Amino acid sequence: MASNTAPATGPISGVSTPAELPSTAHISAPHVANSRPKDGGASTVGTFGVKSGLAQMLKGGVIMDVINAEQARIAEEAGACAVMALERVPADIRAQGGVARMSDPKMIKEIVDAVTIPVMAKVRIGHFVEAQIVQAIGVDYIDESEVLTPADEAHHINKHTFRVPFVCGATNLGEALRRISEGAAMIRTKGEAGTGNVVEAVRHARAVNTAIRHAATMSDEELYTLAKDIQAPYHLLKETARLKRLPVVSFAAGGVATPADAALMMQLGCDGVFVGSGIFHSGDPAKRARAIVQAVTHYNNPKVLAEVSEDLGDAMVGLTIDPNMQGGLLAKRGW
Amino acid sequence: MLKGATVVGVLALQGAFAEHFAILSRLASSKNIQPLLVRTPSDLAQCKALIIPGGESTTIALLARLAGLLEPLRAFVTEKPVWGTCAGAILLAESVEGAKKGGQELLGGVDIKVGRNGWGPQVESFEAALVVNGLKDSATPFKGVFIRAPVVLSITPSASRPPIKIIAQLPSSLVPIHSEPPEGVDSSNEPDPRTIVALRQGQHLVTTFHPELTKDDRFHEYFLRACVLGSE
Repeated sequence: MASNTAPATGPISGVSTPAELPSTAHISAPHVANSRPKDGGASTVGTFGVKSGLAQMLKGGVIMDVINAEQARIAEEAGACAVMALERVPADIRAQGGVARMSDPKMIKEIVDAVTIPVMAKVRIGHFVEAQIVQAIGVDYIDESEVLTPADEAHHINKHTFRVPFVCGATNLGEALRRISEGAAMIRTKGEAGTGNVVEAVRHARAVNTAIRHAATMSDEELYTLAKDIQAPYHLLKETARLKRLPVVSFAAGGVATPADAALMMQLGCDGVFVGSGIFHSGDPAKRARAIVQAVTHYNNPKVLAEVSEDLGDAMVGLTIDPNMQGGLLAKRGW
Repeated sequence: MLKGATVVGVLALQGAFAEHFAILSRLASSKNIQPLLVRTPSDLAQCKALIIPGGESTTIALLARLAGLLEPLRAFVTEKPVWGTCAGAILLAESVEGAKKGGQELLGGVDIKVGRNGWGPQVESFEAALVVNGLKDSATPFKGVFIRAPVVLSITPSASRPPIKIIAQLPSSLVPIHSEPPEGVDSSNEPDPRTIVALRQGQHLVTTFHPELTKDDRFHEYFLRACVLGSE
């Protein structure tokens, strides 16, 4: 916490975060926030504190993929804590192929106007101009997502330069810390989107947990070497080891299709859940959405989980994860 | 559990309840309180006071109804101290503007009307230093973290409840630029309600910002001292 690079009007007492989460002051890059002093008072927008703070407000909630205003309204009514606006859900991107890009701003704006909950939108990995456009529309969060076709095969977006916060996918600890280093204020597992198969999300959540438990037992000398091995910034690794968790909010994503899947990811330590194709590709979206919302709140109560899992109609058809599967392995995208 | 400790609940349906719980836990021994995460009516029945955290107010209200907590919460608010932060402030308001289509379920209990997302989308979320009367060491500003925060649109006093007491205000230059001044406000002799970011009505406390996102536990200390343990 010594290296406080927060903005001029920055922490009075240290920005913080979940109890377990650290002061974020040391994560934020300099020259990020915009001070806007006016007569008689000053405020600071776009700080890492308000970016990671919104993610903290989403905890214990479900973020649902929607492709139009009508679906967004159904998601809001079902208790979604946010919606992700996109043109095609991952299962359709997988089936239809082609280059998947940012959604039409008109569609995103219609969704923003339709609901009161936060609206997220996806941009391609490395496509900072899509991010500039989506920020200008007024979305509340940007997902720099492997579900869309990457625009840059070596670089991710420098997320510190944006006022809007970013969430990024990760398959392991090094990848998660690289994204945080670039300015991500929230992390999610990648899972394998559009499959309705939770196995990859479980793999990624367990990989991060195992690596953190390992790091937490290490001496400083060992942490320097681990940082090199997993290609993560040392100071973020050190902070993660101290906290025994990622220093930002961490959600599950990719393949969650049932209330039980959602509760599984919560019991594995995730702070909340993204559900993509799993809701609007199922037999009764409104009912399934509500059941998953309840499952995330009551994830430790099998009796409630049994009640909400009852009679939900058909789940989306799941796919076996296979390198030759239609659409390929999306989780491999990202560097 | 401490002997004779006062049980203070944190509504744990969705949102930033862990942060409130952690701060209460730090204050537990000095204040002789016992924090409790509340997810069911039987949890709530054990509490002498409650904090409703930030989160999404529509989600929290729906989960409360599905858990059979909505009516017990409404009854709780009429009898016992409750503090709402952000989404919690919306739920404690008597009415809300900018709610989702079809309206939004509220608990009520505090005579204010609020507007959702008063400052606009997330890019307008901000931090500002607040001077707060009544806090320990009140000369030191409190860091107000405002995230898609609601704005107080008007005070709607009712005869049956104690008067509203303003605890903290933003400078008038920081009120939402796109909102119209509320009707009937004469800025010359009464404060623009939109500048109010913390207020008390009897044993209830409302903050439109997030003290739980700081490491500063003075607001929690204030709630326990002034509203719950009743020394003021």
